[in-house]
Amino acid sequence: MREAYIVSAVRTPGCRRGKGAFNQTRPEDLLAQALAGAADRINLDKALVEDVMTGCAFPEAEQGINLSRIAVLMAGYPITTCGATVNRFCSSGLEGIALEAMKIKAGWAEIAMGAGCESMSIVPMGGNLPRPHPDWAKKNPDVYISMGITAENVASRYNISREDQDKFGYESQMKASKAQKEKLYTEIIPTTATRFVMQADGTYKKETFVQDFDDGVRADTSLEGLGKLRPAFKAGGSVTAGNSSQTTDGAAATIVASEDACKKYNLKPLARIVAYAVAGCEPDEMGVGPKYAIPKVLQLAGMTLDQMDLIELNEAFASQSLHCIRELKLTDRMDIINVHGGACALGHPLGCTGAKLMATLVANLHRYNKKFGLESMCIGGGMGAAMIIEKM
Amino acid sequence: MTRRIDKAAVIGSGIMGGGIAALLADAGVETLLLDIVPFNLTDEEKKDPKARNRIVQTGFDNLMKAKPALVMDKANTARIKLGNLEDDFKKLADCDLIIEVVVENLKIKQELFGKIDKIRKPTAIITTNTSGLPLQEISKGLSKEFKAHFMGTHFFNPVRYMHLLELIPGAETKKEILEFLADFGEKRLGKGIVWAKDTPNFIGNRIGVYSIVDILPTMKEMGMSFTEVDAVFGPAMGRPKTAVFKLSDMVGLDTLDHLAVNSYELLPKDERREAYKVPDWFKKMIENKWFGDKTKQGFYKKERSPEGKRVTLVLNPDTMEYVPADKPSFPCLDAAKAAKSVPEKIKAIVYGDDKAAKFAWKVTAAGCIYAANRVPEIADSIVDIDNAMVWGYNNEFGPFGTWDAIGVEKSVKRMEKEGMKIPKNVQKMLDSGAKSFYKSEKGKDYYYDLVKGGYKEIKRSESAILLKNCKEIKSNASASLIDLGDGVFNFEFHTKMNAINGEIVDFIPTALEYVSKNGIGLVIGNQAGGMPGAFSAGGDLAFMGSLAKDGKFTVINDFIAKVHDSIQALRYANFPVVAAPYGMTLGGGCEVCLGSDRILAHTETYMGMVEIGAGLLPGGLGMLNLWRKVLANIPSSIKITDLGGFFLPCFMAVAQAQVGMGAFDLKKKGFLGPNDRIIFNRDLQIGEAKKEVQKMVDEGYAPPKHDPILVMGQEVHGMVWAEMNNMKGGGYITPHMEFIAKKIAFVMSGGDIIQGTMIPEEQWMRQEREAFVELWKTENTQKMAAHILATGKPLMI
Repeated sequence: MREAYIVSAVRTPGCRRGKGAFNQTRPEDLLAQALAGAADRINLDKALVEDVMTGCAFPEAEQGINLSRIAVLMAGYPITTCGATVNRFCSSGLEGIALEAMKIKAGWAEIAMGAGCESMSIVPMGGNLPRPHPDWAKKNPDVYISMGITAENVASRYNISREDQDKFGYESQMKASKAQKEKLYTEIIPTTATRFVMQADGTYKKETFVQDFDDGVRADTSLEGLGKLRPAFKAGGSVTAGNSSQTTDGAAATIVASEDACKKYNLKPLARIVAYAVAGCEPDEMGVGPKYAIPKVLQLAGMTLDQMDLIELNEAFASQSLHCIRELKLTDRMDIINVHGGACALGHPLGCTGAKLMATLVANLHRYNKKFGLESMCIGGGMGAAMIIEKM
Repeated sequence: MTRRIDKAAVIGSGIMGGGIAALLADAGVETLLLDIVPFNLTDEEKKDPKARNRIVQTGFDNLMKAKPALVMDKANTARIKLGNLEDDFKKLADCDLIIEVVVENLKIKQELFGKIDKIRKPTAIITTNTSGLPLQEISKGLSKEFKAHFMGTHFFNPVRYMHLLELIPGAETKKEILEFLADFGEKRLGKGIVWAKDTPNFIGNRIGVYSIVDILPTMKEMGMSFTEVDAVFGPAMGRPKTAVFKLSDMVGLDTLDHLAVNSYELLPKDERREAYKVPDWFKKMIENKWFGDKTKQGFYKKERSPEGKRVTLVLNPDTMEYVPADKPSFPCLDAAKAAKSVPEKIKAIVYGDDKAAKFAWKVTAAGCIYAANRVPEIADSIVDIDNAMVWGYNNEFGPFGTWDAIGVEKSVKRMEKEGMKIPKNVQKMLDSGAKSFYKSEKGKDYYYDLVKGGYKEIKRSESAILLKNCKEIKSNASASLIDLGDGVFNFEFHTKMNAINGEIVDFIPTALEYVSKNGIGLVIGNQAGGMPGAFSAGGDLAFMGSLAKDGKFTVINDFIAKVHDSIQALRYANFPVVAAPYGMTLGGGCEVCLGSDRILAHTETYMGMVEIGAGLLPGGLGMLNLWRKVLANIPSSIKITDLGGFFLPCFMAVAQAQVGMGAFDLKKKGFLGPNDRIIFNRDLQIGEAKKEVQKMVDEGYAPPKHDPILVMGQEVHGMVWAEMNNMKGGGYITPHMEFIAKKIAFVMSGGDIIQGTMIPEEQWMRQEREAFVELWKTENTQKMAAHILATGKPLMI
C-alpha cells in the first residue's frame, strides 16, 4: 500500500466555553480559518485538496447541515473540494485524519484534509435535543451516561486518588503556562473571532478581533486551590473542574498527501502516518479506552511502546489519563506525555481535539527532533482510538 | 389632577431604605435610591462616579443578597436607579414621592428636607420613615407647601414581609395626601394601614418596646430566665415563635436600646417612664456590641459543638456568660397546648398557678393597662393599636384583643385585687355595661371607642371582605360554602393547615351544584392566620397511609378517581372559578389552584407539588394542568420536537418538588400564567377574587372544552431514564425517589405513546391513578409517607 504523509497541521487557539474568546464566534468561522490556514501555511493551491473530513461530536444546529462542506467553501476552496462531517465523539477529528489517510493509502485520493471542529459555547455537550431511545435507555442507560460519571467510575474502580488527579491537573497547567510563556505553540494560527459588544448608547454592535492564544491556561493554578474545588459530577466524588478537561471552542486541520503528490507539488512531508486503531470498552468507564487502543495500534504497526518518543494522550479527565498511563506502565516516562500541557489546561473541544492534538504532536516532533509520536483519545460510549506517526 | 406615583425616591440605602425601594420596584414604581458620598474618598476617588456611589451600591448589593429575599423578583430591580445625594440630588425634582430613611439624627434630617424643599416639584409627597423622631421637629422651618405635602410613613423590617405601615399625618398635611397615600400603601404596596399620631415611637414601637422592656425587671423579680420567658411568650400567648428575646435579637438590641432611650427622653409624662430605663446588664450588652443576630450574639448565641452540631446558647445576665439553652416546661404550657383556640391558650396561661403563669399574668395585665392609657395619646382607636401589634409584631392579638381573650371583667377584678390601677377609660367602658373591646353583629365588626364611648363599626376597604362576616350557605367539618354577595360564592377550607381531605373532596360537587343553580361564579379561598400562613399545605396523608397499611388499594384508587372528578368538575363548571392562594400552597392545594380557571395569588404564595417528598406523585391532575397551562401559552405552530424545552421544566418542578418562592417566581415556573394575577395585599384578596369572577362573567365566560392532551410520549422516557442514570451515578437521587421520578415522567409524558399524540383526558387520569396506587403499594412509599407525617421532613430512600 502507498504511504500517507502529513504536510501541514494547524489549529486555532482553544478558548473557554461560555466565557472565552470564541463564545460568540460561529463554529463554521473557526473551522473555515483552520482549513484555510492549513493550506496557506504551506502555500498550497487550495484546488488541489480533493476532500475534507471534519470531525464534530455534536453535528447539529450551527454545526449541522454538513459543517465540513459549508466551511470548505467559506474557507475559499473551490467547489471541487468536497466535505463530509464525521462523528466518533471525542475522537472525531482523529477519525477524519485517519479516513483521509486511508484514502491516500488506497490510491483513492492524492491530497485530502482531516479536520475537527467544536463550538461547545454554541452547541452544548449532549446536543440541543437529546433523544435517547426510550426502550434502550430503560434497558441499558449506560450508553448515554454522562462523561463525568465515567470519570468517577474510573477513579473509584481503579483507585485514582483525588490528590493524584489534582496533581495531574496542576502539572498540565504548569506545562501549558510554561509553553505559552515561551511561545512554543507554533501550530496555532491567529484566528479572527466575533463578538457582539454593547456600545455606550446601550445598543449592540458586531465586532471582530484576532485571538492567538489558548485562554484557558491558568499560570496561577495551585494545588491548594485545586484541592478546594467541589466534585463536579458526584456527591462525595473526586472529579472536579480542575482535574477534568476544560470545555472549549476550537478547530484544527491536517493536510494529508500521497508520496506522488508531495513530489509533484513540492510538498514537504512533516510526518508519515504509521497506523490507526480503535478499540471498545465498557461505556460506563469509557476513559479506559486508550489502554486497549494503544496496544492494538502498536501491534498493527509491529512496534513497542518504548519506541514512542512523544505521546499526546488526551486528558479528558485526570482519572482516566492516570489509569491509562499506569496500565501502560508509562509512569516513569511522564516527560514524553503531553509535553506542552493537555486538555486540563488547554481544553477539549470534543470533536476537534483529535485533529488539534495532531497539530501539536507534529509540531513537537519537529521542535524536539523526535521520531515516533503517538496520539490517543478516549471516546464516549466506550471506545479508545490511537494513531502512530513518524517524523520525516 | 390625577395623583399618581410614577417615580419615587428613597433616600438612605440601609436595610430599611433598600427594603422600601425593593417593594416599590416590585410594585412597578420607578425608584431612585440615593445615599451619601463616602466621607473618606481620596482625591482620585472623588472624581470616580463608582467610588462616589459606593455606599448606595453596597446597600443595593446587600439588598440583593438578603435572606430571606427582600426582593420579590430580581428583574424588578431594573426599576431601581442608584445615585448619591450630591451628583443626583436634582433628580429628586422629578419624583412624585420621596421617602427619607436616613440616620435617626434630627439635624441631618432637617438639613436634607431643607434642600428638598427648594427643588421638589409642587405635587411631590415627602415622607419620613423615622421610627420615633417628632415630625413637628423634623419639618420645622420648612415652607407651608412642603408641610402640606409632608407626613410620616413608617415601614417595618423586613419591609417585604411585615404587613404594617404606620401613617403619621403632620400637623398641616393635606387630607387629600393622607387619603392618597393610605390607598397607595394598601393597594399597590399591600400594606395594612394604621393611623398613628406624631408621638415618640408612634404605635407599634411604643407598645412593642414597652412590652419588652417591662419584662426585664419583672422577670428578675419573679425569677424567670430568658428561655422561660420565651417559652411562655411564644405561640402559647399568641406571639410569634421568636417570642420576646429571639425577636429582640432579630430586631437588633441597638435598635431596641435606641427606641427605649428615645421613649425615656421624650416621654417625661409617661406613667411607666422608668420602665424605659433598661437594666445595667442590658447596657453592658450594648457596650459589648452584642446586638443580636447582626453581630451573631445577643440574648442568644449559636455555636457549633466540637462534633459539629448546632447548639444554642443563652446569656446569663448575672455572669454575662453564655450557657446552653434549656427547654423549659410548665404546667400552664401543657394546658395551653391542650387548648384549641388561641384565646383558650392565652387564658390557660394567664390563669394558671405556676410561676410562669403568674409572670405571664403580671406582664399581660401591665401591657393591657399601658395600652389603654395610651388612648387617645398615641391613637384614637384601639383598632389601630391592635392592628399595629398584629401586623408589625406578628402577634395574634393586640393588647385589646388579648384583653378580650382573658375576659375584661374577670381580669379587671384581679387587677384591682392585686392593686393595679385600672385605666379610667376602661373603667368607664365597663360601667357603661360594655363587656368587651370588640363585638360582631350581623356580619359587622365593632370596637369600643375609648375616647367617646360606645361601639363603632370597624371601617375597612370595599375589597377587604372577611369570610367570617359573610353568610355561610352550606358546610361540613372541613369546608364551607360562603356567600360573598352578588352571586359570587367562596369555597373555604378549614382543616388543620387547610390540608385537603375526603370531606373537602366530597364537598366540591355539592358546592359546585349550588353555585351553578344560584350563582355566577366561585372563589376558592380562605383566611387562616399566620405569616405566611397556609392556603393549603397539601393532602391528608394519614388518611391514605392507613388505607395503604390495611391493603385497601381499591379504596385509594376510588378516592383518586373522585379527586379527579372533582378537579375536572372545577375546570369544566359552567361558571368561572378563581383560586386565591397565599402562603403555603402545596401538593393538593397547588393542584386545586391549577385546576381553577384563574389564580389570583398573593405575592407571598409558596406553591409547588412536593408529593415526591412523601413518596408519592401528585394525584389531583396538577401535573396535567401545569402542562396544559404551559402548552396553552405556546403558539400551536411550535413543533413537537421543540416542546422538550417546555416539558422538562414542568417535569423537574414535580420531580424535584420545586416550590415557587412567591408569586413572581411562580410566574417564571409556569404555575402562574398570563391570565393569572398577583395581589400585594392579602386582606383584599377575597374581595379582588370576587371582582375577578364578576369581570370574567361580564366578559362572557364559557368553560373550556374537553380537548385531548398533546404529549411528549416515549421520547421523554429516553431523556429521563438516561438522565436518572447519571443522577444515580452521581449519588444525587435515592433508589425509591428515582422510582417515583420515573413514574412522574411516565404520567407527564402521557405514557407509552409516540411524541405528538393527542391522548384523551381519560387515559391521563387512568395512568395517574394507576401510578399513584402502585406507589402506595410499595413499602418504601408507605415508609416515606409515615416519616414525613411524623417528622415533617422527607425520608431519603
